Amino acid sequence: MAETVALTSIKKEKKKEKTFIVITKRLLKNKLAVAGLIIIALQIAMAIFAPFITFHDPVKQNLNLSELPMFSENHWLGTDNYGRDVWSRIVYGARISLIVGIVAVTLGLIGGVILGMLGGYYKKLDGLIMRIVDLLFSFPGILLAMLIIAILGTSLINVAIAISIWSIPTCARIVRGSVLSIKEKEYIMAMKSLGASDLRIMFKHILPNAFAPIIVFATMRMATAILSTASLSYLGLGAQPPTPEWGAMISQGQAFMWTSPHLTIIPGIAIMLTVFAFNVVGDGLRDAIDPNMDIQ
Amino acid sequence: MIAMIVRRFFQLIFLLFGITFLVFSSMYLAPGDPASMIGGPTATESDLEAIRDDLGLNDPFLTQYGRYIANLAQGDLGFSYQTRQPVAEAIAIRFPNTLKLAVASMIIAIIIGIFAGLISALKHNSWLDVTSTTFALGGISIPNFWLGSILILIFSVNLQWLPVAGLSDPWWTAEGIKQLILPAITLGTGSAAMIARMVRSSMLEVVRADYVRTARAKGVKERSVIWIHTLKNAMIPVITVIGLNFGALLGGTIITEKVFAINGVGRLMIDAIAARDFPMVQGSVLLIATLFVLVNLIVDIVYTYIDPRIKYQ
Amino acid sequence: MKKNWFLMFTLITALLLAACSSDDSSSQSSNESSGGSKEVESLTYASLTDAVGLSPIMTNDSASSNVIEHVYETLFERDAETMEIKPLLAESYENPDELTWVIKLKQGIKFHDGTDFNAEAVKYTFDKLRDPATAAPRASLLEPVDTITVIDDYTVEIKTKYPYGPFLAALSHSNAAIVSPTADQKQDLMKEPVGTGPFKFVSWTPGDQVVLEANPEYRDGPPAVKKFILKVVPEVSTAISMLQAGEVQFIDKLPTEQLSRIEGMKNVNVEKVNGTGEYYLTFNFSRPENQDPEFRKAVASAIDRDAFISKLNGLGVRSDSVIGPQVFGYQDTADNAGTPYDLETAKELVKKNGYDKRPITLLTANRGNFVLMAEVVQAQLAEAGFDVQIETMEWAAFLDTARAGNYDLTFLSWSNVTADGSELLYPNFHSDNVGSSNRAQYSNPEFDKLVEASRTTTNQEERLTILDQANRLMLQDDAVVVMYHDVVTAALSNDLQGLILDPTGKWDISAVTAK
Repeated sequence: MAETVALTSIKKEKKKEKTFIVITKRLLKNKLAVAGLIIIALQIAMAIFAPFITFHDPVKQNLNLSELPMFSENHWLGTDNYGRDVWSRIVYGARISLIVGIVAVTLGLIGGVILGMLGGYYKKLDGLIMRIVDLLFSFPGILLAMLIIAILGTSLINVAIAISIWSIPTCARIVRGSVLSIKEKEYIMAMKSLGASDLRIMFKHILPNAFAPIIVFATMRMATAILSTASLSYLGLGAQPPTPEWGAMISQGQAFMWTSPHLTIIPGIAIMLTVFAFNVVGDGLRDAIDPNMDIQ
Repeated sequence: MIAMIVRRFFQLIFLLFGITFLVFSSMYLAPGDPASMIGGPTATESDLEAIRDDLGLNDPFLTQYGRYIANLAQGDLGFSYQTRQPVAEAIAIRFPNTLKLAVASMIIAIIIGIFAGLISALKHNSWLDVTSTTFALGGISIPNFWLGSILILIFSVNLQWLPVAGLSDPWWTAEGIKQLILPAITLGTGSAAMIARMVRSSMLEVVRADYVRTARAKGVKERSVIWIHTLKNAMIPVITVIGLNFGALLGGTIITEKVFAINGVGRLMIDAIAARDFPMVQGSVLLIATLFVLVNLIVDIVYTYIDPRIKYQ
Repeated sequence: MKKNWFLMFTLITALLLAACSSDDSSSQSSNESSGGSKEVESLTYASLTDAVGLSPIMTNDSASSNVIEHVYETLFERDAETMEIKPLLAESYENPDELTWVIKLKQGIKFHDGTDFNAEAVKYTFDKLRDPATAAPRASLLEPVDTITVIDDYTVEIKTKYPYGPFLAALSHSNAAIVSPTADQKQDLMKEPVGTGPFKFVSWTPGDQVVLEANPEYRDGPPAVKKFILKVVPEVSTAISMLQAGEVQFIDKLPTEQLSRIEGMKNVNVEKVNGTGEYYLTFNFSRPENQDPEFRKAVASAIDRDAFISKLNGLGVRSDSVIGPQVFGYQDTADNAGTPYDLETAKELVKKNGYDKRPITLLTANRGNFVLMAEVVQAQLAEAGFDVQIETMEWAAFLDTARAGNYDLTFLSWSNVTADGSELLYPNFHSDNVGSSNRAQYSNPEFDKLVEASRTTTNQEERLTILDQANRLMLQDDAVVVMYHDVVTAALSNDLQGLILDPTGKWDISAVTAK
């Protein structure tokens, strides 16, 4: 008996190692995903090496040099309304967007996966958990965030908290959905009848199967988190000025859309590229994880 | 089925109760005084005190909440602090606009989403897939307040094809439809992209499933493989997204209504939060929550038809 | 391929035609049909917020006032040009003694519902406004009033509890407009207003629009604008686009950032008038650190107001004076009476007193030019060595926080509706109002005395001198740093003329005609 257990675990280890290599190989064959990976890598590099690749303090104003166009001397992306260097703000903004996004998504995933698994797996808990999820969910996301920020005050940390709570119900519904459809499958039934513990079934067998939708969700959520931060900034509830947050830059630049469109377009492109990158990588991952997928 | 609907109805009551408490306590905790929003910056302390007394804001929390619930139980949503008009009346004026906007956006989202998703999945890894994926991702990554003002700039100000704002004409008239186009695109783009991605993912998952392979191997025509076997099964996550997204759409109306000057519930709600008009916030949140629950009830019913393996006791 | 082009062409033409034809049908600007007359079929104004209600008694917001000022009238009004107070519904007034105001009313005026305008209506309106049971937001306007007596049909006598200088200014406030007593008893004026003004109420769809029509029986003849629509457009960029597309003909309070865009439009004219409103930085005097005069001097010398005003595209007037150039009590010698910008002095004071070690929060509301001021001033203070963090808040939270005094520095604004210095200094800086409208919690006995004197003196010459003294006292004290005095703006479709733009930010369209 003990032997077989040991044997299976060795097999599993090997299988895991193999899977990882296979997934990486598959992922690298997907050109869009590779492009996404490069963009993300660049963004991380920008975030880390910000002080070395910029020549101006991102919050330093120069009212005499405001609203410079692109490709101006010393400011290749121009300056904003306050004469602050747009390039420096974009580079430092990469830090902020990444951190807010990661914190918000991670918190949301933890909450969502736990609730979704419990709800999908235990019929008894399902009612209660789904009511909590419904309660959170039937609040429009922005409204929920606005209420949370109204109580906690305006700051990026509170924005991250607000956005994470707002992604819990969506995540929980998606996880629950996959749990429901997997749970009824023969092999899970078989495992149950063999006496495998619930926790083991949930985390070893069901969770990996729900992995694809979770990955798809998490990557989309990273995008949504960045966009939501921008929306909240648009409503004046995001980062405190003069923080170089991309969303805040867009909403500030919007007033100058007719005179200096680059103030809106550059941070807009930064956001879009980031969002795009996370999405294609998630997509690629999803394809790569799937063992039955034909890779051409 | 009927038992489920009845049970859901009771759950709805529980849910609405929870929501009133959540909203009431968060509005109570949030800084800001409804009286100073009514009196404005020029009001004196005695002006404000009179207003507070008049609105019953000096009572303890539980008294205020109890009073609200007692009225609500009789179907009375109360009066707006700001305008002193019945909340139900204020919502009734605005709700048709929000519904119009949400439904129009959902239609746009479903059409674009399913179409783009199908193309991506069927022509997996082709240039069509890449194009439609890129397009879908572009749609999802544009902040909708930004998209809204760009659309206005192009189609209303420069080309003058469509009106800038407003939603006052009935939807069945040409003018009404024209007013709906830009806001519906603005609001629907994000959902379209989301649906496209879900359709693509689930289609790919189903395409490689055993029964579809079997069907193919048996020589069933490609077209009927798609329609009969795959699309139907792939609909589950899609319907989930539609159900979920309808709620998000209702929330998304907040920004779209602001940009396009649409007199809807979303705008009523943020204005009410900003003005600390508690009864108005409560009323509009309750409405949106009820709608959301109803849409999801329908989604759940549809589930059981599409996938008979899911049963409700 | 050819076919496709043809199809495309047809489609675009169809769309264009559809767009044009509908534009004609919904066109809201002047019409030529009445044979070159100056009549304007309909005029649409885009309002950023909806009216709270349409009763002067129960509201105190600018969107409501815009409607109220066209439907109702006050006993007195302030001339937009000369800023002098003149009778409107009143014929004349006299003061037999310091406490008594005998006001004669114009005769033969009727409310829109046919009720006679008379002394009873005045008494009814004022009694209702000051009745604590009404809980009127601006009950304080009539706070000094003791008794109101009807002498005869067209004479009313008002006695005040103490001599009250700015009384006529209070009576010219739109919240003191006279309502029809019969209508008030019959219906809800918040929804269906009835006044004596040049426009009659037609309909109100809350959140969407208020529609008014010309009052054919108006005593000076009906206005040329037949239909006046106040449409709610919450997003200012959208409102500007609507103006450009001709969907609205009139907007006001143009944002500084988009001024050049509006000025570049071919179909509109921009109108500007120096205003009575002002924006200033203030210290929270309840904090002991802020009571140090050198600290305030250091802050004042660190703020380059000229540099800031250069960001306003001409929509700001530079003057140190707390009482602005358009406000009663202003003397031009006060323009430079404040602490001038001097970065070196600021740096020295910061270094000498160790101000750089004190973290300062700069509280600001997240709307309008407040954020602009905060960003610029934060950078300027940092330049001088201060350690300043901005804390933005939404408006409601801001009002609450500022009132409670939970801040170090903040920006406040005051739109002076009565254009009288006492109305600025008393609520904002008199120690009576600490804890409510005196958000700076400024308390200076000498200053208090001057403000009180300015309120109780009825001789206007004397009041001018007293207000100027109070003004200078504040400047010597560095009690506030005045950022700018505002410029009132509006953009009107260029086929129209005759908009009256008031320095207080109010406007009147009853004289608007087609060109």
